[in-house]
Amino acid sequence: MDKAELLNKLKDIISPYAQDKEALEHISEDTDFIGDLKMNSANLVDVVLDIEEEFKIEIDNESMEKMLTVKAALEVISAKI
Amino acid sequence: MLGNDIVDLEQAHRDSKWERKGYLEKIFTLTEQELILNAEKPSAMLWLLWSMKEAAYKAENRLTNERFYAPKRFSCIQPAMDGTFNVKYRDRLFHISSAINEQYIHSIATLDLSELQRVHINYQQNQPDYAQEFSYLYPGYSLKKDKAGLPAIINHQTGMKHAASVSHHGQYLAIIYSGSLLLKD
Repeated sequence: MDKAELLNKLKDIISPYAQDKEALEHISEDTDFIGDLKMNSANLVDVVLDIEEEFKIEIDNESMEKMLTVKAALEVISAKI
Repeated sequence: MLGNDIVDLEQAHRDSKWERKGYLEKIFTLTEQELILNAEKPSAMLWLLWSMKEAAYKAENRLTNERFYAPKRFSCIQPAMDGTFNVKYRDRLFHISSAINEQYIHSIATLDLSELQRVHINYQQNQPDYAQEFSYLYPGYSLKKDKAGLPAIINHQTGMKHAASVSHHGQYLAIIYSGSLLLKD
């Protein structure tokens, strides 16, 4: 899976939790889940669980700690698939 | 240092399906999971514990300026049977005070117990012009961000500053500020 494909899949996953839909349309590696997408921090765990299901991977707490941005999430996924 | 977190219970009910597989395990310690599952109202207990962890994280974040997502490492503990909680993170112990009603759950975390007792709390509607609303409610005071982007309450007459923390969720917004003065700029 190339980077653009991965980003598209991630966008689909985070879309129900992103409150700022315009920021979601302009998603990039630099997008911050809470700062830019106005995601509630209680929903970050849903993103992590959805990623686990979609990519059939397991994300440990250490990896989850960093997952505040698109870039960090992509890195965690890429390292595990 | 202080931090706070408010949870609009109706909004939380709409947005979070905490019964889903893996949810509790990712966020809560075993002791906390037991507290939740054995509670009369599991979801109320869950959001109470969550708001404590989040408030403590915000206080920690103010101290170190580091951002991360590790709710499980902030563990809620009950040192006595009197219903009070502490949140432990590494070697730090945060003191917690919470308000619970049918609409929202609000928790405040401070490092010093004396600071917790002197925190000022102001509840407002969650709307974009909350800072103006605050100035209207408290003439002579304003809510501003300092050079580091952290909120502070400023007394116009004396120029003195108090560390503040803002939390909003759904319909509700809470502004808390320290009774003691902020010494550093």
